[in-house]
Amino acid sequence: MKPLEGVRIADFTVHAAGPFCTHMLSQLGAECIKIESALRPDIFRKSHAVYGRNGPASFDQVASNKLSIRLNMKHRDGVALAKRLVAVSDVAAESFRAGVMTRLGLGYDDLRQVKPDLVMVSVSSSGQTGPDSHFAGYAPLFGAWGGLGYLSGYSDGPPMEMRHVMDHSVGLNAALAVMAALHKRRTTGEGSHIDVAAREVASSLVGEALMAVSVGGQVERLGNDDYIRAPHGLYATNTADRWLGIAVGSDNEWRTFVAVTGLAALAADPRFRNAEGRHANRRALDAAVSAWSARQDAEDAVERLQRAGIAAHISWNTHDLVTDPHLRERGAIVDVVDSEGGARAAVGFPGRFSGSDAASITRGTPKLGEHEDYVYGELLGMGRREIDSLVEQQIIY
Amino acid sequence: MDMVLPLAGIRCIECATGVAAAYAGRLLASMGADVVMVEPEEGSPLRREPPFLGPDGGESALFAYLSAGKQAISIDLGTEAGQAELARLLGTANILIEDVAIADKAAMGLDPEKVSARWPALVHLSLLPFGSHGPKAGWVGSELTLIHSAGEGFLLPNGLSAALFPERPPLKIAGHFAEMQGGVAGALSALAALWSGTGQYVDVSVQDANLAVGAFTVQRYGDGSLEHRLSRSFRYGGVIECRDGNVELLTLEQRQWHGLLELMGRPDWSQDPALEDAVVRSQRGDFINAQIRSWAASRNVEDVVMAAQKLGVPMARYNTPEQILSGQHETARGLFAEMPMADGRACRMQTGPFRFDGRPLPARPWPVPLDVEPQPVATPLARRERA
Repeated sequence: MKPLEGVRIADFTVHAAGPFCTHMLSQLGAECIKIESALRPDIFRKSHAVYGRNGPASFDQVASNKLSIRLNMKHRDGVALAKRLVAVSDVAAESFRAGVMTRLGLGYDDLRQVKPDLVMVSVSSSGQTGPDSHFAGYAPLFGAWGGLGYLSGYSDGPPMEMRHVMDHSVGLNAALAVMAALHKRRTTGEGSHIDVAAREVASSLVGEALMAVSVGGQVERLGNDDYIRAPHGLYATNTADRWLGIAVGSDNEWRTFVAVTGLAALAADPRFRNAEGRHANRRALDAAVSAWSARQDAEDAVERLQRAGIAAHISWNTHDLVTDPHLRERGAIVDVVDSEGGARAAVGFPGRFSGSDAASITRGTPKLGEHEDYVYGELLGMGRREIDSLVEQQIIY
Repeated sequence: MDMVLPLAGIRCIECATGVAAAYAGRLLASMGADVVMVEPEEGSPLRREPPFLGPDGGESALFAYLSAGKQAISIDLGTEAGQAELARLLGTANILIEDVAIADKAAMGLDPEKVSARWPALVHLSLLPFGSHGPKAGWVGSELTLIHSAGEGFLLPNGLSAALFPERPPLKIAGHFAEMQGGVAGALSALAALWSGTGQYVDVSVQDANLAVGAFTVQRYGDGSLEHRLSRSFRYGGVIECRDGNVELLTLEQRQWHGLLELMGRPDWSQDPALEDAVVRSQRGDFINAQIRSWAASRNVEDVVMAAQKLGVPMARYNTPEQILSGQHETARGLFAEMPMADGRACRMQTGPFRFDGRPLPARPWPVPLDVEPQPVATPLARRERA
């Protein structure tokens, strides 16, 4: 059995952050029913043109494993049907702007009427309360609001735009909160309403910097630098765009590093004798390391440094990831077959369990409405005629 | 009435020297778990990591942030007595979190099979840079190398930073982003294992966690695209410089594009009907962005963001830490709690990344510095136990 077998999620989420939350839980074994409508399918189900051409968005990854039904929540009877589904679910997940679910008649207080111990998770850009709660946003905005964007970037450049990892971090945190709320329900019998504000997830990821600044501590936009470690950066190798990442901290690591690289002259240089000196003279050190790395084959250098216990890694592109035996062996990269029979690489769950079945993707992207017979028929006990009538009335639509 | 925290009653023992495992413990502690952090006599190495709580040093802000809500206990796991003490603690625990290298686990009393045999109901979470299974399980990692081991590093920066400095090496994200992803994935996995009712060993890797949140690039690879930081930029929008700071702008939906034109006063160039097509807009992105930049350059951040959001245009200020700490929205939501420090001053801390039932997670202190004697009236959480 997978860890969350027996848990059912009514999934109203759209875009990336919310669906990633239920994607994690579904890989852990929860039965996740994705609710959309042909009137307004998840915008990420459609291709969009942000990269200069109409290509698919991240839908396939986060929709895999999920069951799909159509449900028109603009229709009063659609709302009633949504409540019937929530009544037989453990979790309701949504990621509309704050207030939308309540206006639809599907707010936490409404849903608690039909499922008193419901765990509901609401994922939004700025949270369910507060003066900015109505703000619209996407991943780069979450990073901007939360300080992660301002603190990232080249030290002499502008702030750095955050991308999908920001959305998905929000979803990962939301999945954790749901898991905690399920434990609370188990011990107390009580449900919860979880409020995940994406910008607060962003600020939580630089929580220590915000704490330091609150009492006058020094915080900088460091680029690839570290506060105390050097050499610490990405160095060009003998192959274009094949960057070698190296992080050296302690004196022991430094001695090992110079031994492995053969940079004996650096070991003798008084500027680099201790960590303070290496950090204070890090630009000179970077120049020396760069002169060495420019002659290196990146793979070979990483092998040698790792064998000696030095944190080194190539800045990997996606081809490296998809073909890596380590990631394949861990199930971190898997092949998924979608409903049209095509196989593609996908990312598995980031945890391996010794006592449960593997958390993983077992099914590809569902077609819109693919699982209505199971959900409306088996789960909600509706007959064929009733379902057909609701389709006719554009309630299941 | 006091809030019942979600994880009240769950007990966790943490043996962590890195950010990922410490953050996993912190997340559980902030949600009410009773977390005991085991550290050596000289203290966790995280106690010495910048940034610090003050202009001239002081306590580590990183340690304080990662350890809030935990009890600290000094145990030398290299000794028999220390391992006996750890065993006593594990006998009371539901979850063990550790980031001890595979080669050292047995010597520290943390051999997975022995732990499982002695405490069959225990969830044993191992959180290592590359996990504890697979050909690279013995590899070491740091924040910088880990974000580049999982694909996102290679794709950063994009947009304005990439356009300004195309020749520079790719970038990491600020702070401990990659390690914290490992921490969240670890906490989630440990709670899922506990939920299953089966005591077990849970192997989480920081690399895998970052690959998970970076999954989009793997999907695009399957679609035939190898992403690169210089080409994955949004064609218009992105980081936009205003008179007094930067904003982020991203319009994905047609109505948001219309809102943007409204915001800019429907300039002549925008009346071209071809721009109704999202692909055409994307192709003319450089031109559109030049117009947006020139429009924004003479305007103030606060004004454009308020006007944009009123029109449903996704735009945000690039907040400085000070702006977040004093933000109206953050203040209204009680995002930061006032935390007493060992030297008598107070700092402010975000208690958690999410909240339950409308209330922020409670503020819980971090263990006192090693050179501060325990106060007789200290709360149990702040009290330092000695082995």
